[in-house]
Amino acid sequence: METAINIGYACSLLREDMKQIVITLDSPEISNLEKLGDKVAVAKASNTSITNQIREAKLQMNSFEGSSTSFGLIIDGKSLSFALSQNLEDSFLDLAINCASVICCRSTPKQKALVTRLVKKGTGKTTLAIGDGANDVGMLQEADIGVGISGVEGMQAAMSSDFAIAQFRFLERLLLVHGHWCYRRISLMICYFFYKNLAFGFTLFWYEANASFSGQPAYNDWYMSFYNVFFTSLPVIALGVFDQDVSARLCLKYPLLYQEGVDDILFSWPKILGWMLNGIISSMIIFFFTTNSVLHQAFRKDGHAVDFEVLGVLMYTCVVWTVNCQMALSINYFTWIQHFFIWGSILFWYAFLVMYGAVSPIISTTAYQVLVEACAPSPFYWLGTLLVVVSSLLPFFLYRAFQTEFNPMIHDVIQRRRHEAETSGDFEQEGKVARVKDKLREDVSLLSK
Amino acid sequence: MSSGDGASQSSSKKSKKPTYSRFTQQELPAFKPILTPGLIMAAFVFLGITFIPIGLSHLSASDNVVQLVDRYDEDCIPTYNSNPEEAHNKRIQYIRDASTNKTCVRTLIVPKKMRHPIFVYYQLDDFYQNHRRYVKSRNDEQYRNPSAERKTANCEPEAVNDDHEPIVPCGLIAWSLFNDTYSLLRNDVPLPINKKDIAWQSDKTHKFGSNVYPKNFQSRSLIGGATLNESIPLNQQDDLLVWMRTAALPSFRKLYGRIETDLEANEVIKVVIQNNYNTYTFNGKKKFVISTTTWIGGKNDFLGKVYITVGGASLFIAIAFISVYLVMPRPLGDPSYLSWNKNPPSN
Repeated sequence: METAINIGYACSLLREDMKQIVITLDSPEISNLEKLGDKVAVAKASNTSITNQIREAKLQMNSFEGSSTSFGLIIDGKSLSFALSQNLEDSFLDLAINCASVICCRSTPKQKALVTRLVKKGTGKTTLAIGDGANDVGMLQEADIGVGISGVEGMQAAMSSDFAIAQFRFLERLLLVHGHWCYRRISLMICYFFYKNLAFGFTLFWYEANASFSGQPAYNDWYMSFYNVFFTSLPVIALGVFDQDVSARLCLKYPLLYQEGVDDILFSWPKILGWMLNGIISSMIIFFFTTNSVLHQAFRKDGHAVDFEVLGVLMYTCVVWTVNCQMALSINYFTWIQHFFIWGSILFWYAFLVMYGAVSPIISTTAYQVLVEACAPSPFYWLGTLLVVVSSLLPFFLYRAFQTEFNPMIHDVIQRRRHEAETSGDFEQEGKVARVKDKLREDVSLLSK
Repeated sequence: MSSGDGASQSSSKKSKKPTYSRFTQQELPAFKPILTPGLIMAAFVFLGITFIPIGLSHLSASDNVVQLVDRYDEDCIPTYNSNPEEAHNKRIQYIRDASTNKTCVRTLIVPKKMRHPIFVYYQLDDFYQNHRRYVKSRNDEQYRNPSAERKTANCEPEAVNDDHEPIVPCGLIAWSLFNDTYSLLRNDVPLPINKKDIAWQSDKTHKFGSNVYPKNFQSRSLIGGATLNESIPLNQQDDLLVWMRTAALPSFRKLYGRIETDLEANEVIKVVIQNNYNTYTFNGKKKFVISTTTWIGGKNDFLGKVYITVGGASLFIAIAFISVYLVMPRPLGDPSYLSWNKNPPSN
């Protein structure tokens, strides 16, 4: 017990200004009963003792309510076995939740798992457990997120965990940097996925209204098959795997960024529905602008009128450009990967049209030479694409402009600060120091091979 | 950085630290643009000043197009004074009867000087050439290759005739070929319409064969449209090729021919129409169109108007943004505007 308290002070779990609540069975009466050997009596007395201690602790806490004192609870393994029994676990949880830190010393692996389960079920919050030995395996499995430290005590903890790290202090980086990045990446990726498929699918739906709902798709079959495979998939992968809204150094410097994930700001229902609405509005703009601009008249100087193939290519081109440029507008981080995937997907669409259009018309049916012969020589096609793409992106751009200026989220604020610092030169110094450090590390790693 | 010095400093112990690479440590050189007020205003202003001129040039091109549209299906059929249903049936009877005289003369006055080439179209409304079963009803192999004439898959019911001989070209699209004809008189002098090269080149060279001839065409009980000259190969039947490129929307125009001379303003053009095609069963409309073209194509000011609207709206937004920003300035990157700083949490 004493060791536990000293370790608590050493790693700042317990502070000088905290009130300690100690729940223990090391009292004279219990020891006497144990000497007598009557197990039933010992159990009964222990139970009563624990109940009383918990009650007193709660009273003590209530008397301090309103002031800013924090409490630290220390409980040992023997007491824990009673505190976790059916009748006491709720009050124990209630007491523990209101403490700033809780130290359970000398607890068995089973108790560790039980405590984790109690907290998980009782509070309904996400729990994280970290441990390095085989005795932590139960706890790691029980918690929502189990972090195992591989090393001194073997690989047991690492093998049964969700994340394995090498040293305890890497936990900070795991949470603040990778946790934040992953949250943003996944939430943005899912929202964007809904958006791009709605933008594509609804153009087909609006077209059906003009095709007497007979089920005739507006596009050639192979365009549709390849939509999610070639023309719009790589940018999403780039988003989901590589995106960083704020650099690692700034993530560590401003731990408040992590709060975005805790408050679930980026994946709330308004955000999801907003993206879906964006998709539907984009599809409406794409469809109605393209069909109203082609109606019946000739679209080229040589008098040819628009047919099914040309309208399909025009609309599909607009869709591909719009969803890819929407990606470019949503992210703030462009490495060569993002550039290659986004612009490459758009170029691949044109390359695909040329290649597919060169195949015999038995196979390519409505796509035969459609870009090379019909669309590319028509200025109307290119100008129409430009207008439709810009118009579809304008609502989102407007929303983002007003949001970053007048109602920014924390990562917008940090990005702005970094940008200002960079432009004014302060970050230059910090950046230089960081770069020198990186270079040194590189050299050290090369030397140590 | 993720790795520390730890125990790997001593040279005898093997370091387990993974090798550093910019890619695996996610430190690739990156371009990190953010939306500053300056950038936003510049973007909107740029949009405004590029889109408005484009829109204006579109509109002026569209205004320069001279177009004459004349709906003739109602006027070119006799009216019947019975109740609507009977009148409808009588019209259908009239149009289907091969012996009735279907000539109809329409008069058009040229509003402005039209420079050649002037394009002649026929326009059909409420005709769903984009219906799925209709679009499916064709066989591209049969059209290309004379030895594939028995391939009539998908062409039902216009696949084989009553003697089980294949119909070439098979399918509903070919069967419903438009068969109104137009001949023009300018001041009572015949005005020739050039019907060469009205189809797409790729159709002529690759999609339809030069040695595939029509066979058993319109030989079943129900005749859907025009008949084809059996001695002309498919790829030289331009009207068929134009018709086979199915339209996108229920209201569409198809190229009929070209007038290769200029037409002066106020000239009287008489159009002699053979009103053969039956659109009366489904209440479709038929229109005769002559139109010039410019670099942007035919007459449609939608694109021009939208360009100007978007450009104007962008300028307006830029001005609104600047004024809001000047009226309510806030220091950039000010954390006091964050929601949890505005309402400090109670615990």
